[in-house]
Amino acid sequence: MKEDMILLREIERYLEGEMNESEKTAFEALRHTNPLINKQVEEHQLFLQHLGNYGQRVNLQAKLDQIHHQLDMPTLRKQAQEENQTAKRLTIRRRTITNLAAAACIALVTSLSTIAVIQNVSRNKSTAQYEDVRRVLNNIQRSQNALVNDMNKKSRAPLNPGTYGGTGFAVSGNGYIVTNYHVVAGADSVYVQNNKGEAFKAVSIFEDISSDLAILKIADSTFKSQPLPYSLKPQAVKLGEEVFTIGYPRDEIVYGKGYISAKTGFNGDTTAYQVSIPVNPGNSGAPLLDNKGDVVGIVTGKQTTSDGIAFAVKSAHLKHLLDEMPKDKQLRKEWGHKSMEGMNRIDQIKKLEDFVYMVKVYN
Amino acid sequence: MKQNQDITRDRELLLGLAKGEDKSLEIIYSENFPVVLRMILQHNGSEDDAKDVFQEAIIVLYEKVQNNDFTLSSRLKTFLYSVCRHLWLKKVQRTYGLYALTPELEEVIPATEELEEHNVKDQEFRIMEGAMSSIGQPCQTILEDYYLHKKSMQEIAEKFGYTNAENAKNQKYKCLMRLKKLFFDQYKTPL
Repeated sequence: MKEDMILLREIERYLEGEMNESEKTAFEALRHTNPLINKQVEEHQLFLQHLGNYGQRVNLQAKLDQIHHQLDMPTLRKQAQEENQTAKRLTIRRRTITNLAAAACIALVTSLSTIAVIQNVSRNKSTAQYEDVRRVLNNIQRSQNALVNDMNKKSRAPLNPGTYGGTGFAVSGNGYIVTNYHVVAGADSVYVQNNKGEAFKAVSIFEDISSDLAILKIADSTFKSQPLPYSLKPQAVKLGEEVFTIGYPRDEIVYGKGYISAKTGFNGDTTAYQVSIPVNPGNSGAPLLDNKGDVVGIVTGKQTTSDGIAFAVKSAHLKHLLDEMPKDKQLRKEWGHKSMEGMNRIDQIKKLEDFVYMVKVYN
Repeated sequence: MKQNQDITRDRELLLGLAKGEDKSLEIIYSENFPVVLRMILQHNGSEDDAKDVFQEAIIVLYEKVQNNDFTLSSRLKTFLYSVCRHLWLKKVQRTYGLYALTPELEEVIPATEELEEHNVKDQEFRIMEGAMSSIGQPCQTILEDYYLHKKSMQEIAEKFGYTNAENAKNQKYKCLMRLKKLFFDQYKTPL
């Protein structure tokens, strides 16, 4: 211990240059011969260096603390906070703008696509809401040959029930029948069948697409003409007036009762009535009659979106149409020979039955 | 042009710092601290954090200029800022090791090479500091007075009431031996 201290003292004296020349040479000689002492010297040098570094740093730290102490901290703090807030506000603003832009884009796309969809839908809507009430019969694919055969056997009504079915009624005693255009549209051949089961071949002689009406003429020698028990009522009927119809929504004749619920038809069509009456596919072309048994309209279709709303073309329009027909096709006007006025409904129907036909369409 | 001027000025300041001029240190400190304070506050640090981080950066700078081989390639402001950023990042990682760093901090981990050297020196400093504080009084003061403040043994003897400088010297050697032992216990030298 004591020796260590003496050695340390000697080393320090040596490093600090306190030794005189002879001492120094002696010590250097000792360092050379004794590696242990040499190591001690080097270690001490290193240590002193570290100690010096330490001192410098402590000194520096003290200076820094002093400088820091002199700083105007409250002002700096305030400044920094303000700057940070501005920066934050800026980033927030930037973020908000980005978000807004994204939202706007989405809104734009959404509204545009909505507009597109709505336009598309509204275009489809009218057709979707309106439904023809022709009957789609058993859709049997018939070969061309079979069709040709049928046409050859003119007088024979085909056993096949046809592709489509509707209703028609006589507008003259000599075989003119009115039905809906959509019933006979695109038909290869048309047959009409009365309630007794007698079928007659018919041809469409006049069609009016805008009011959805078609005039058929029975082209069959077996048909016997008979006078009509009703007439076409030329005036418009009143709102709420009770009406009835008979038609062929099925193979049997079907009676339906209702009332005029509006003076215009689908989408404000002035040539038609809105009728609250049960109609089904197959009722197309059925007559709409008032209590006196006069024809006031022709059932054409119904609204799909609500139940019990049907549409019928006004009889006045039909009359107008019949007047407009080409001269060579003029039918004999035999209206109002025998009115069914005053008869009860059962008798009216009984009489009417003979003049209402099931229209069978083949195509 | 302006940047060149700035760098020239920065270099002069560093020269002053290397010579130990207090004025340069003061200018560097007061000019750069606000920026660092702002950065630390922005990243959820406190004022004390800012002070610690900034002073450490100054120490790094000081060590660099002491080495004489340091040439400033960027502006002083940039250098200090990036060092501070790095130091703060390290600190956050140490303190909140479990928490994820904010993405902004993660982006930049600058000045990695600059700090390797510093870390070694810092390690040495911590060891010396630890050794110094554990030798106790009056040893610590005697050694500091002699080696750091370069006081003569006569002054020290008077200050501590030793009868003569020789007694004080003996005391100093005892203290020095203890300090050396404590220091080298932790400081593994290649010697």
